Amino acid sequence: MVIQQSLSGVLLDDVALTLEELARACDVEPDWVVRHVHAGVLGSQPEVNVQVTGWRFRSIDLVRARRLLTVERDFDANEDLAALVVDMADEIRRLRARMHVLGIKLA
Amino acid sequence: MEYKDYYKVLGVERTASADEIKKAYRKLVRQYHPDISKHKDADAKTKEINEAYDVLGDAEKRAAYDELGRGYRPGQEFRPPPDWGSQFDVNGAEANDFFADLFAHVGRRGRTGGAGMGGGFRMAGEDIHAAIAIDLRDAYQGASRTVTLRVPEQDAAGRTVTRDKTLSVTIPKGITPGQQLRMKGQGHPGVKGGPAGDLYLEVQLNPDARYRLEGTNVYENVPVAPWEAALGASISVPTPSGPVEVTVPPGSQSGRKLRLKGRGIPAAQPGDLYLILDVVLPPASSDRARELYQAMARDLAFNPRERIGA
Repeated sequence: MVIQQSLSGVLLDDVALTLEELARACDVEPDWVVRHVHAGVLGSQPEVNVQVTGWRFRSIDLVRARRLLTVERDFDANEDLAALVVDMADEIRRLRARMHVLGIKLA
Repeated sequence: MEYKDYYKVLGVERTASADEIKKAYRKLVRQYHPDISKHKDADAKTKEINEAYDVLGDAEKRAAYDELGRGYRPGQEFRPPPDWGSQFDVNGAEANDFFADLFAHVGRRGRTGGAGMGGGFRMAGEDIHAAIAIDLRDAYQGASRTVTLRVPEQDAAGRTVTRDKTLSVTIPKGITPGQQLRMKGQGHPGVKGGPAGDLYLEVQLNPDARYRLEGTNVYENVPVAPWEAALGASISVPTPSGPVEVTVPPGSQSGRKLRLKGRGIPAAQPGDLYLILDVVLPPASSDRARELYQAMARDLAFNPRERIGA
């Protein structure tokens, strides 16, 4: 295998995404991001009152935005319902991780 | 490449209406959702279902797929015409060869809508999202991994073809599952001189037989002998960052957690390493061992079931 290029990526938690960059990474209009931040279902940073140009998004936000989008598109779900589904899926993952840590196996 | 029957993947007739396709897709997505499915191939199945719906759920792509696929059987060698599909887009590195080759062509429509359909607009290339699996040791020490992506590219004659692009990616020390690495300009090429998209790699962790991870904290079971647990001891324990000497406090039981501060994942805020003691009994496989157990039974007057009233 020939390596064509060696790269060092930027960790999104060191250098965060702007509103435009997050929208592009999710293939949505920036309005979609703004709407979801204002609805309180997206954005881990307590910066909602900052001007939108100052908003910054990290790994967790990108992952969440893409998952919200998938639920909304797959099931024509509104943003609140999509957020509920994603929150519940997160809780399942958290509990599974806890069970794994405690050495409990799912039947 | 081999022809894939997307109708079969979704379990619908070729004559199915858009509504029937959507219904079938939703049912399968719920059935195989990796968070709830017990199916061992749930991830692969979900990707296959999504790929099929990406095509059949879009009227234009479906029409083109039907046109191209006439007469093909699943698994049969498939060759699209060289100038085919110039108006379609493909969605990232997760797409497989068949899908990528089928729809990886110039003129990406993008979210601004229609701009790539032969118009003169300058447009940024789409971002690519992919996952990269690392071992726990890589999270501690950093690592280098190779990633192969199938990306569209213009050949000398100006036609869009797909090719494999292999990148060597540096994984920084201290990374945790779910974090994203962004590689600027490594996504799809731009249109009409627009900038290339970016590549996003989501870090996933390979399962580890010895260590378990929760956030940045790491958990490890440590077997100890009964006398080490009862009397206390200084023991050597292998950890992801190398062996450490640990003091087992006297009177320890199985399940006792010893916390080694800052020895979890070395993130910006380092996690802790938790050693979970597991008292292991020596086998009573010799006369001497049996004698020792009998002496303990006689001399210790120990009732392990006292707390349950026995």
